[in-house]
Amino acid sequence: MMTPALFSVCVLAALLELDTTYAFQLTFSRGIIAAPIFSLLTGDIMAGIQVGVFTELLFIDVNPLGGVLPPSAVICSATTLALHMLGAELYLAFIFGVLFSLVFAQIEKYRRRSRFRWMIYWEQKIVQKPTSVNRAIMISLFSSFAINFLLLFAFVWAVSPVILWIAAHMPERAQIACKLAYMAVPWIGLAALIPEFRLKTR
Amino acid sequence: MNFKLQLSLFLRSFFLQTGWNYQKNQNIGLMFVMWPFLKQLYKQDPDALPSVLTRYLQNFNTHPVMASFCFGALARQEEDVLKTKNAKELEEQITLWAEIKRSLSITTASIGDRLFWGTLKPLSLLVALFVLLVLGINFFEIQLPATTSSWYIFFAGAVAFITFNAIAFFIRWKGLSISYFNEDHRCFGLTEFDWNKTIYNAKKLGLFFTVCMIGIGVFYFMQTSLAQNVQFITRAILVLFFISISFITRRLRIPNMYLYLVAIAVFNIVCYF
Repeated sequence: MMTPALFSVCVLAALLELDTTYAFQLTFSRGIIAAPIFSLLTGDIMAGIQVGVFTELLFIDVNPLGGVLPPSAVICSATTLALHMLGAELYLAFIFGVLFSLVFAQIEKYRRRSRFRWMIYWEQKIVQKPTSVNRAIMISLFSSFAINFLLLFAFVWAVSPVILWIAAHMPERAQIACKLAYMAVPWIGLAALIPEFRLKTR
Repeated sequence: MNFKLQLSLFLRSFFLQTGWNYQKNQNIGLMFVMWPFLKQLYKQDPDALPSVLTRYLQNFNTHPVMASFCFGALARQEEDVLKTKNAKELEEQITLWAEIKRSLSITTASIGDRLFWGTLKPLSLLVALFVLLVLGINFFEIQLPATTSSWYIFFAGAVAFITFNAIAFFIRWKGLSISYFNEDHRCFGLTEFDWNKTIYNAKKLGLFFTVCMIGIGVFYFMQTSLAQNVQFITRAILVLFFISISFITRRLRIPNMYLYLVAIAVFNIVCYF
């Protein structure tokens, strides 16, 4: 089930996911940028652009303010396109992409909470030897990359047979319902942009 | 602060959030960014470094782009800390340093969140969506044409990327020097820009683009549905329903994605009855 292209998508997604918080924040992790890049690997470029736009519009109203952790657009796009590549319809794969990005956000929250002991250790090290801050940053980046990759890889590997089974046995009415909900995504997103741009004060 | 040092701080600022944790937020990142400056400043007095580093490893949290104002201001104040001649003066300057860090991080976070996450990100998305429409890629339709040049697609992404990052890079770089060289310490250079006016105008532009985009979408649906004479009422009801329900969910602070998940459940129920 796991092809080199899928493996590459997982590696690239884990790398781009770092851009969300841990490094750069150059917006490579935005759906509209990440999804077309993934689609070069999965082969369906139009699916990439559609998933990218839909992911961006769906997550546009959740911002990383303070401790708020929005669902990852990279994880959603990568999961959706990987499942689509394995044969799942886009409207069905997108549901699992959104769900996994929500689960991933919860895991990330847990990771941030449990980083306390790690932080205490590195704080002591840095005070003793200040140059070890470079090592702390490198280790943090690498461990984040590795965890992102493992989570995504495990999810796609474990869930794809289930989704393909669901897709094959899904009643036609349920398929229509999922298609309608998928069709509604750009409208849900655009409607959310009006209050996002509301002019409160000058 | 010379050009080389500013460049070093600028490049390191991209790793401010590495090691983000709920206890002290960006403290490790702040230490990482400021290290080249501290190393140079305390070259003659390395014994003072542990206590200085302990200060930098305290809680710090702000917007990653706007943080450059904090770096410059903290560097400037650190020089004043070093210049102190007695313990009392040192204590005063350290208290001032901590106050600058606390107040400036809150102010820059507020501006950054409104400008970058609340305005520039959705605005750059809208610009990219218009580019896609101009290039003939109608994302309102779930059945997209199979043949489109991949250059076109990356062009839209590139537009969103450049729109956001041109401003982000400028603020990151300029914020460092403005806050460091700000002579009278008045708001550490924050008043050099009229943030409220910029945000207000960008939001006005965003609102205009959003209304245009919804108009284009409605026009497209009317055109295709009338031409095919099918599904028009269903689609119109669907669109109006989601636009109105989205206002309600927004008021209740329920994110879009939950609306989508509820839509799947509702449509399934409707399709079965």
